[in-house]
Parts: sequence; structure tokens; C-alpha cells
Amino acid sequence: MNRSAVARLSAAWLSSFVGLSLLVGCGPSKLEYRPNDLHAASLTREGSDQDPRAVAKKTSALIEQWFGTLDEPKWPAETLGADLEAVRMDSVSRCAGPVGRGVDKVERGVFRKHCVSCHGLTGDGLGAAAMLVEPYPRDFRRGTFKFKSTPVGKKPTRQDIHRTLYEGIPGTAMPSFRAIDESKEFAHDIDDLVEYVRFLAIRGEVERRVMAAYVREGVELDPDSGRLKELLAQVVQKWAASESDAIEIPEPPAYISSAAGDLAIGIDGIDNGQHVELMKKGQSLFESELTACVKCHGKTGAGDGASQDYDEWTKDWTILAGIDPKQSKDWKEMKPFGALKPVLAKPRNFHWGAYHGGKSPSEIFKRIVLGIEGTPMPPVARAQNGNPGLSDEELWELVYYVMHLEERS
Amino acid sequence: MSSEAKFNFVKLWAWLSAMFIFPLIWVGGLVTTHDAGMAVPDWPGTYGYNLFLYPISTWLYGPFDLLIEHGHRLLGSWVGLLVIFLCISAWATEARRWYRWASVGLLAAVIAQGLLGGFRVVLDERTIAMVHGCGGPLVFAYASFLAFASSSDWKHAWPSIAPKGLWRLSWVLLGASVTQLVLGAQLRHALPSTTPVGFMSMVHLHLTFAGVVTAAILGVWFLVRRNPYRTEPRLKVPANALAGLLVVQLALGIGTWMANYALPWSETAPSLARYVISAKGYWESMLVTAHQATGSLLIAFSTWLICRVGRRQISLVQNPNSFTIPQDASIVGTARETQTTVGQPVSAI
Repeated sequence: MNRSAVARLSAAWLSSFVGLSLLVGCGPSKLEYRPNDLHAASLTREGSDQDPRAVAKKTSALIEQWFGTLDEPKWPAETLGADLEAVRMDSVSRCAGPVGRGVDKVERGVFRKHCVSCHGLTGDGLGAAAMLVEPYPRDFRRGTFKFKSTPVGKKPTRQDIHRTLYEGIPGTAMPSFRAIDESKEFAHDIDDLVEYVRFLAIRGEVERRVMAAYVREGVELDPDSGRLKELLAQVVQKWAASESDAIEIPEPPAYISSAAGDLAIGIDGIDNGQHVELMKKGQSLFESELTACVKCHGKTGAGDGASQDYDEWTKDWTILAGIDPKQSKDWKEMKPFGALKPVLAKPRNFHWGAYHGGKSPSEIFKRIVLGIEGTPMPPVARAQNGNPGLSDEELWELVYYVMHLEERS
Repeated sequence: MSSEAKFNFVKLWAWLSAMFIFPLIWVGGLVTTHDAGMAVPDWPGTYGYNLFLYPISTWLYGPFDLLIEHGHRLLGSWVGLLVIFLCISAWATEARRWYRWASVGLLAAVIAQGLLGGFRVVLDERTIAMVHGCGGPLVFAYASFLAFASSSDWKHAWPSIAPKGLWRLSWVLLGASVTQLVLGAQLRHALPSTTPVGFMSMVHLHLTFAGVVTAAILGVWFLVRRNPYRTEPRLKVPANALAGLLVVQLALGIGTWMANYALPWSETAPSLARYVISAKGYWESMLVTAHQATGSLLIAFSTWLICRVGRRQISLVQNPNSFTIPQDASIVGTARETQTTVGQPVSAI
């Protein structure tokens, strides 16, 4: 290599630096919440001549006035009043913004660090890796959460979201943050993320409702509009009340071990005859019309039932917008707005014992009596306050049977 | 004492530089895996301290992200020092002019990498982090090249025959490995604003180039096993090493996919259905980082192969009548091709 070659090499490096500086500008690139184009497209598809992207953008601008920006989130305390607060904003601030530590060594940008690659900056489930994972990452903006201890229509408790973050979801891309929780320096991360998920869910749901009011009711997108303030308050009130909406799970009978997270059934003093009897009762309930478990989970619980359906996130922009999710030429119409290919919700295969909502008896009990919101899994009627349904004793028998399907297989 | 008998400091510093760049890449990979690039918000200092005077107890027993980011900076400084030693010894003792300037080029590359890392922090810009991430393995390949060029194989290579097509295939392998690395960096450093479609396209390209790299390595492996080259250990060793690395890298690739996204067919087996990914878990982090580091090794090993093949090609070009053929070779060729005049080592190149 001669001198001129080295000079050329140095020039190449210099050019690279200049090019890089021009490419990235002089500071961090500005990131913004992504407007809900898909919901706008769904709302305006029939009976409206409005441009969905323009609708989404205008709505997003109003929402920004209430909830701030990605890097500087805020709470609409002036609109809601000081008493109505559903999230802890110090936690939200720590999760928002770019990843890194400040000069005070406090870590920030926790959401971008752990969640953004799947759930996206806006919590819309459209992170970079969204198309690679199955099921798709959750879109928080609908305000619907699957694994919770509150009835359908109610919001999850903080503990519910914490549990999903801590335990993860087996067989899916949703990891467990247990390792982080157990390290001293990141001990607050999960609690803070719970608050940020609540914040994104509230922000997203308000955005959807405001958009619907604008498109369907013709309400002006004015932050002082009484109707819009009312919608904002309704959403926040639901989240603020979530802790008190949780149902109480009765004590499991002695034959079910209540050890959290332990799938092994504690057969405390029950003999084989009692076990067979319990299995018979459980199977009879599993196959009954009242529970209709076999429709989706199949006769043997292998998840091979005849009934197949989509989840509510998919139906939201397909069936509700007059689109057949099975017809690719139909649903692809929504692809430019952020729609991902519709995928059928898979009923759980009980033979493998991989329960997405948790494998402890009490969690399985909750899935049966509360259903899995947003999915085809409905709640089983529970005999309470004179209403017909399964007694708690029968529900535990059903739990016992479902848990033993793994053992049997 | 003859110059040949003198201790070869150039070789020492060249090999040490390459050997320390590899762990530097590992730690840099960990920084990316743990998204620790901004764990220290200032540069070139560390929380207001001089880089080298930052209290050891604070970073060694501090948060993990601070440990690896500051450790990466210190290791980078150490590598810079080694390359300075290489330059000094090259300019003091190395007879080859191009090598002396190439050592300066390596120093420039290491400095540039340091500056990129610094700009990434000062500007808080993930795009620079990606460029920095791509640059590391290239610097590693460059340092490896200088290490190989200081070796006895380079200096005393006897003109030989390289299998037909191996020279070109080696370059194809290097090109594909570098492309694969850039694509991998795009996935590792995906911006928060990256769209799912854009990311998916990158994944498809990454998988496609994994196929190209696999085919190229298999091609190299089979070529060096054909008569009359199968007894040429100087070609077989890098080819075997590449094949071994390929197996490791493919396994790590699958592991990386599982650790990041779970398998799309997880519902087909109980163990997969029950597997819960551990966010920032030890094994998950190591798998992902090892995949990236092994990609760097593939580039370095491709460079090694090119050195071995190219050195023989160059020798042959400069001494067309001087090459050796393995003793058990049974080739059919022209009179010139089968001439077995013992050539001279071409140490001056």
C-alpha cells in the first residue's frame, strides 16, 4: 500500500464522518406517537368520506394536548381534576423517553429498553418485530387485557399486569422480567412499566373514543368540548376503579395444592378412587353444554375443537368494519394503515400444561370464571346471588380435571 | 544475531491487538443486548471523571449496564494502546512498507471506532450505534489480516496451487459475511420507529444471506478436499475452522431467534410450548451476543482463508515457475502446471 492509498483511505473515513453527521443530524431524532390510522380507517370505511389519516392525525394532536409527547408525557389533571388519577406519573416519566441514565445515574426510557421492539412506541403492538411473533404483540390502545382478575369489561389490576410481566407468557415472545426484578438496581422496573402500560392504554383508549365521537357523532376536536371531556373521564374512572373490581377467588379444596405456580397437584390424602371420581366429575363438566369447553378445546383438551374464531383486536378492524378476515384481498385493504394478517386465536392445548395466563390452580380458576377478554374464551356462568351456573365446588373439579389433562397425556 | 532470530514484536502486537478486539466485540455486543449504550451519559469522561480515574468500586459493583459500558470503553482504550505499540514496532522494525502504513490505517480505524462510540453517546443517536456495531467486526478483520500478514505462513509461504475457484469463492464468502453482519446489526439496532414490514424485510435478507454464507463455506470446504489439494493443511485448517464455526453460528442463530421471538411453531412440542423467555436473562443474553461475536469470527476467519489462498496466488504470479504440488497429487495438466521446481519463499512481499 503506498502513501496515496493511505491518503485515499483517510479521505474515505473523513467522508464517512461527514456523511454520517448529515445522515443523523446534530442530535437525537424526534420520535412521536403513531396516530391510530387503523381505527380511523375502520371508522371511516363505511358511511364517511373523511380521509382516515387526516382523522387520525387530528385526533392525535388533541390527545397530545392531554397526554403530552413520547419524551414528555403528562397527565390531563387540569381537565380531570386533581382527584382523578389512575397512574403514577413519576413512574411514567421514568419509563418514557430514550434509554439511558441521567447524570443522577437514574435509569430512564425503561419502556423503550424492554418493550418497544414488540409493542411499539405507542403501545399499538406494531413494534419492529411484530410480524415475527405469534400471537401478535398486544395493542394496549383498546384497553383490553387478557389475563386479569376482573370481570369482562373491567380493567386489569396493577397486580394482573405485574404478574404477566413477572411470569412472562410461555411459548410466546412475551418474556419474563423475573431476572430484572430480582436485581437490586432494576427492582422498580416492573412496577414502573405497569404504570406506563396503564398510561398507554388510557391514552390509546381515549384516542379511540374521541376519534369515534368525531367521526360518528360529529363532535369537534376541541379539548374544551364537554363530550370529549366526558369520554376522557369515563376511561380514566374505569382504570382508577380497577383495583376494586377484582373478584375474590375462594380457597381451593384440600385436593388442590394452592402453591402458586406449582402445576403438580397436591393429592393430600386422596386415594385413587377419589381421584377417579373427581376426574369423572370434571370430565362431565368439561363436556357439558354449560361450559362448552369442547367446542374449542376439543373432546380430549388438545385444542382441536371445531370452533375457530378471531380475537377482538382483529375483529375490530375486520368484521366490525365490514371486512372478511378470511379474504386476503379484503383485509389487505387495511394493510397500509398498519393491519397485520389476521390470525385465528388458538385454543390452548391442555396436554402440554402451558397456560398463557398462569398455571397455578387459582389462575386457571380465574380463566374459567372470568374468561379471557378479547378472545373467543368466554366466562363460564358461576352460581352466585341466585344466578344459575357452576358452583365453586364444581369449578374446582373442572380446574382439577383440566390440570390433570397434562398428566394424563 | 540475524534479523530472523530477533524477537518479532510486530507479530506480538498484531496478534495481541486482534486477540483483544474480539473480547471488545463481545462486551460491545453485551452493551447492545442490554441496551446499555447510554448507561454513561457523558463522553470521553465517565460521570465527570477522567475515563481512567473513574472509581473502580463504583463501576465494578455498580449497575450491570454501567459496568459493561464503562468496561467497553476501558477495553477499547487498551486496544488503542496495543495498536499504538504495533505502529511503533512496525515503523521501527518492519521491512514491508505497506505493512507499516497498514498499521497506521488500523490505528486510524480504531480511533474512528472510538469516536463513533463517543458520538453515539454525545448525540444519543442509535443510528451511530449501528454504524459503530458494524465497524467493530471490520476492524477485527483488519487487525486479523495484519496478524496473519505477520505470521510465518505469510512470510515464508511456498508457492503452491490454490484450488480453482477458491480465490473467488473466498472473496464471495467475505463479502457475504460482511453483508450478513450489516444486516444483523440492522436487526440488533432497530430503531424504535422501525416498521414491522421494514424489519421483516431485513429478517428475510438476513436469512437469505445466511444461506449464501452457508453455501460459500460448504463450497470452500469441498474444494479444499478435492484432489490434489486435500493434503494441503494450510488450506484445510481455515476451511475446517469455517465449517465448524458455521455449525456453531447456525445453532446460535436459532437460539437467538428463540431468545428474542420464540419459535413460530412453539405449539408443536411441550418443551417449546412451556418455554418462557427470560428478559435480559444470562443465557438469553449470552446466546444473542455469541451469535453476533461468532459472526465477527466468521469474517476474521474468511480473511484468514483469503490470506492463505491469496498468498499462494500472489506467490504463483510472482514466481510462475515455482510452486509445489502435494506428493500424492495426481493431477492432469499442462507441462507448466505440472512443473515441480522447488520455489523460493517470497518473504519480501
